[in-house]
Amino acid sequence: MKSPTISAPRSSDRRRWPDMGRALLKVLDRGAPLFASLLLLLIWELGCRLFQVPSYLLPAPSAIVQGALSVSLESWLGHIWATLRVSLQGYALAVIIGIPLAVALANSRLLSRTLYPQLVIIQSTPIVAVAPIIVVVLGAGDAPRVAITFLITFFPIVVSTVTGLLATPPAMLELSRSLGASRLREVKNIQLPFAVPYIFSALRISVTLAIIGAVVAEFVAAEDGLGFFIAFSTSFFKVPQAFAALGVLVTLSLVLFQLVSLTQRLLFPWSLPDAEK
Amino acid sequence: MTFRALRSILLALGVSALSATAGAADKIRWLNDWLPAGDKAVIYLAVQEGLFEDAGIEVEINSGRGSSDVVTKLGTGAADMGTGGLSALLQAQAGAEVPVTAVMSIYTKQPDAVFVAKGAGIDRLQDLKGKTLATATFSASNVTWPLVLEANGMEPDAVKVLKVDPGAMGPMFATGRVDGTINWITKLPAFEALMNDAGKEIKVLPWSEYGFNGYGLSVFASDRLIQENPALVAKVLDIYKKALRIAIDDPAKAGAALKAMVPDVDADIAAEEFAASARLIDTDVAGQDGLGAFEPELLAETWRWVAKAQDLPEDSLDPETSVTREFIPE
Repeated sequence: MKSPTISAPRSSDRRRWPDMGRALLKVLDRGAPLFASLLLLLIWELGCRLFQVPSYLLPAPSAIVQGALSVSLESWLGHIWATLRVSLQGYALAVIIGIPLAVALANSRLLSRTLYPQLVIIQSTPIVAVAPIIVVVLGAGDAPRVAITFLITFFPIVVSTVTGLLATPPAMLELSRSLGASRLREVKNIQLPFAVPYIFSALRISVTLAIIGAVVAEFVAAEDGLGFFIAFSTSFFKVPQAFAALGVLVTLSLVLFQLVSLTQRLLFPWSLPDAEK
Repeated sequence: MTFRALRSILLALGVSALSATAGAADKIRWLNDWLPAGDKAVIYLAVQEGLFEDAGIEVEINSGRGSSDVVTKLGTGAADMGTGGLSALLQAQAGAEVPVTAVMSIYTKQPDAVFVAKGAGIDRLQDLKGKTLATATFSASNVTWPLVLEANGMEPDAVKVLKVDPGAMGPMFATGRVDGTINWITKLPAFEALMNDAGKEIKVLPWSEYGFNGYGLSVFASDRLIQENPALVAKVLDIYKKALRIAIDDPAKAGAALKAMVPDVDADIAAEEFAASARLIDTDVAGQDGLGAFEPELLAETWRWVAKAQDLPEDSLDPETSVTREFIPE
C-alpha cells in the first residue's frame, strides 16, 4: 500500500523535472542575446582588470559607466538632443525629397537617364571629404550638418524606392491602364503599395546612417552633439567618456531603427514578410 | 489725402526701421582655432565678465578645427573675427588673395614643443636622433619641424615622425609606443594628467629655445568687417585685451569662465592650460613692445620660417601687408 504513495510523488517529480528543465531552456533561449551580451561585458571587464589595461587605451565597462556618470545629465541631454535634432532633420528631408524623386525617376525615362547618373556621382563622393567645404559654404548653425546628414541618407531611400516601384507586376499596371485609371492613381494605389517593403528597408538603413551623418558633421564643425563630445573628450584623453558617448550613439541608432520597424508594423502590417507578422 | 496718409505711414516705417538698425546690438561671430580648452578661455572670460554686454556687443563663439580653418572661414565670411597661428595666415596669403588681416598678436613666442618622458635620456633636441615622435596629422608644426632640426645641425629625417589623430597621441606616448609627441606647449596640463596615470613625468623641449622665433597665436579679422565697421574691431580688441590681462592675473578665473560656458570642461585643467599659454603671452618681447604689438623684425622672422617651410621665395609676400597695427589697444 505504501509503495504507490511513495512512487506517486516520484513519478510527479519525474514529470516536474523535465518541465522545469524545459522552462529553463526556454528562458535561456529567449534571453540568449541578453546573456551573450552580459557575458561579453563580463569578459571585457575581467580582461581589462586582469591585464591592467589602462583606461586611456581600452576602458573597462565599469570605467565607462563612471565616465558617463561624471558628466551631468543636463550635458548629456544637450548633446543627445543636438545630435538627434540634426539626424532627424536630415532624415526627414531625405524622406521628403527622396520618395517623390524616386517616383519621378521610376516613371520618367528621361529623368532617370539624366538625374540618376548625377545621384550616383553624389553618392560616390566621399561625404567626409566634402563636409569641410559644405560647412564653409553653409556657415555656422544646423544647416551644414543637416545637409551632410541628408547627403548620406537620401541615396539608399531613392534607390530602394525606385527598385520597389519597378517591382510592380506589369500585368497589374496594364490592368489599371485598361480600366482607365489615372497615372496618379496608378502610382498611389498600385506602385507605392508594392514598394512599401522596399521603402521601409531603406528607411531602416537610412535612419542609422542619419546618426552617422550627424556625427561626421559634428566632427567637422559643431559646438555640441555626441560627435563633438567624442572629439572633445579624446582631446582631453578622457577615453571612458568618449566610449560612453559611443554607447549612447549606438543606443540612439537602435531605438530609431526599432521605431521605424514599429511604424511599419503599425501602419503597414501587410507589408511585413510572413515570418515577422 | 490717401497719398499723404500712405507717405506718412511709409515715413514712419522708414524711421522706425532706421532707429531699429541704430539700436540693434553690434554682433560679432568669433571663431577659436580649436575645441574649447584653457588656452582658448579669454573670449569666454570676456563674456562672463560682462565686457561684451557692457559695450552692447552680441558675441557668438564657435570652435574651428585649426588655424587654417579659421583663415578660410573668416575669408569666406562664415565668421568675423577669431584666433589662429600667424603662420597659417601668412602661408595662405603667400598663395592667394585672402581677405583676412591679423589685428593683434597674442603669443610672442612660438608654442610648438616636443614632449618626452623624463628620465628617457632625452635632454636636448639632438638627443632625439633615431627616436620616434607622434604628431597630429594636420598640425602646422609638421611643416616647420624639419627646419627646426636643420637649424640645430640635424638631418631633417633624423627623427621618425608618426602622423596620428590628435586624440591618439597621448595614449601612444603613455604606453611607450612613441618616445614623445609634437604639441603646443598649452597641451601640457592635459598630457601631464594622462602621464601621471601611467606613472611617468614629462620633459618639455620648447622649439623657441632652439631658434624657432616668431609670432604664434594672433587675432584675425575679416577685411569685410574691418572696412564696414572698424570701430567694432577696435572695441572687440579692447575687450579681448582687457580679458587677457584679467586671465593672466588670475588663470583660475579664466578656467571658471570657460567651465561656466562649456560645462564639460575641467576647470582646474583649463586654468593650468591658460597658465601654460600665458608663458607665451606675457614674455620679455611683450613687455618691451607692448601686449598685442607686431614688431617688424619678429614679424619678418615669422614669415622667413613660413617661406622656408613652404619653399617659397622670401619676396613672395610682404608680411607687413598681412597685419594692421591700427586697432591694437593701448
